[in-house]
Amino acid sequence: MSEQKDLLVVEDLNVEFDTYGGVVQAVRGVDFRVAAGETLAIVGESGCGKSVTVQSIMGLIPMPPGRITRGSARLRGHEILGQSRIDGREIRGAQIGMIFQDPMTSLNPTMTIGDQIAEPLQVHRGLSRADAAREAIRLLEVTRIPEAAKRAKQYPFEFSGGMLQRAMIAMAIACKPEILIADEPTTALDVTIQAQILDLLQELQAETGMAIVLITHDLGVVARMADSVAVMYAGKVVERGSVDDIFYRSAHPYTLGLRAAMPSNDPALKQSLQPIEGSPPDLFAPPPGCGYAPRCPHAMVVCESQPAETPLAGTGARDHAAHCWLHHDESPMKPAGLFFRESDASRNEKFEGGSAVEEGRNESRR
Amino acid sequence: MWSFILKRLAQGVITVWFIATATFFAMHNVPGDPLLNDRAMTAAIRANVEAKYGLDKPLGEQYVIYLGNLVRGDFGISFTQENREVNDIIREHFPVSATLGVLAVLFAAAGGVLWGALTALYRNRLPDYVIMFFVILGISVPSFVIAAVSQLALVGVNAALGVTLLPVAGWGTLWHMLLPALVLGMGTMAYLTRLMRSSMLEVISADYVRTAKAKGLPAARIFTKHQLRNAILPVITVLGPSIAAITTGGFVVELVFAIPGLGRYFVQAVQQLDYTVIMGTTVFYGAFLVFMVIVVDVLYGFIDPRVRMQ
Repeated sequence: MSEQKDLLVVEDLNVEFDTYGGVVQAVRGVDFRVAAGETLAIVGESGCGKSVTVQSIMGLIPMPPGRITRGSARLRGHEILGQSRIDGREIRGAQIGMIFQDPMTSLNPTMTIGDQIAEPLQVHRGLSRADAAREAIRLLEVTRIPEAAKRAKQYPFEFSGGMLQRAMIAMAIACKPEILIADEPTTALDVTIQAQILDLLQELQAETGMAIVLITHDLGVVARMADSVAVMYAGKVVERGSVDDIFYRSAHPYTLGLRAAMPSNDPALKQSLQPIEGSPPDLFAPPPGCGYAPRCPHAMVVCESQPAETPLAGTGARDHAAHCWLHHDESPMKPAGLFFRESDASRNEKFEGGSAVEEGRNESRR
Repeated sequence: MWSFILKRLAQGVITVWFIATATFFAMHNVPGDPLLNDRAMTAAIRANVEAKYGLDKPLGEQYVIYLGNLVRGDFGISFTQENREVNDIIREHFPVSATLGVLAVLFAAAGGVLWGALTALYRNRLPDYVIMFFVILGISVPSFVIAAVSQLALVGVNAALGVTLLPVAGWGTLWHMLLPALVLGMGTMAYLTRLMRSSMLEVISADYVRTAKAKGLPAARIFTKHQLRNAILPVITVLGPSIAAITTGGFVVELVFAIPGLGRYFVQAVQQLDYTVIMGTTVFYGAFLVFMVIVVDVLYGFIDPRVRMQ
């Protein structure tokens, strides 16, 4: 993919935190790209570094104790790490908007919703107080909040969780950013509200053409929203590709493990939850090789000592890549070609999650 | 909002009634007799005086009379300073104490918020350590020590400069008030600084401050609109009791700086069992403090919308 088309390119991002227990290497060489107008989902379990990655890009990591030790993040070719503005324009709030996991605590309790939405408009676009207030009401209408004019004068504690997340979205898109980063935007909301918020994000994307970077640990949300996916584990991107690549041609054992661990609502499938045994590695002293090796059913000797340096292509499909030795030419699995292909799922019981994923996908599309 | 204020006022009246009742019965149970002083007193004179003050009646009846007078705002006549009404004593000396108290509260609140915010912003760096050193000092050293030491220091400074920078004692102009008010407010300022520091540290890492940063707001705007206003809430909560601590704690400072405030009458009256003055000043102080707490509660409602709505 050319740099021209890529709106945001993140390369080799490394982030550390000083703690009393030592240095935590939270993000260890993350790469991903976001094309204009697309939705990239970053998935992974708690503590894998998803949030730290995007917060580093936004400059929201408190430093100290945080530290970006290496890497770059370029928006339209301009480096943004450590920068607050490019092209004379503020990045945060104007070119990249962001919403957070818990809308209940993410809004200032002593300021009206309208004032909070109007703030970036006043600061970045130089609107007068009255104009900004009018625009805030319009934005509340855009995010489908009924009685917007009345609601704008209310405080966060008078809103429900779903309404607050709508208000957060209104605030984040106020200055028409090219990218909206949504850090687990539906995790704190109940299921019906989740669906509404996701629908709203998709509608807004269709209207404005903004790209969305969606952080989540919910594969259902990924299936519903994403164009492309980056799977993170222990501070690294272990696999990336289109949403179809990730779900139907998974190339990394961790992605397969995640798929298998997805709950299914099909009563015919007499399958209980399939957890991934073990726990993620200690990021105070990350393993030299693949972080997933101790939990991986296919781990080889090389996996524990050396990281798979180059992303080894899974399918040969454009941009689909996995950091896994199993795809190496000398790997014993290699003769079978892409053995994680759905048709090969019978090779291993663990891979039967595939059909469940498809179900879930249809479910959420309905 | 109005029903909230009315409710708080009604609660305040009950509180004052309780203070009045408790003081009345506590006082009458203290061993001793307000009429036992060195003046010769025959049984006949004593009976007359007791009749004059209503002391010959049963305690229950005295209580009812006393409450009736209280409702009319009549605190009675002093036992020891003859023919001087308690109302006059309060009217004459309370404004002095109140001025000193208000000034001290202003010093304490402004200083506490400012120093507290600074220590939080410079957490674990030099300004934090320096300010916190003085805070510990301010909390540990009692006000009469600070009063005496600061007075001594001021004498030294005045002598060294050869001019009176600030008057060392007495009352009259604003210049007289500055040092005593500062000394009086010092302990509270130290306490509020600590409170503001911890509250500010909490706010600095709050989610909504992260949101404000993600909106790309300038640091100054984040500080004033998102951090300060939220961090100040706990400080305002304790401001009511702080006003209480400052106004009642004023006696020692009034004594050191020779300020003609109400505090000294209060203490004298207790020593001499001057029933009416004790009752009058206690109830008056009580009512004043209850009122200040209500004012603070209402003020709190203006700053925190969540309180206003309840």
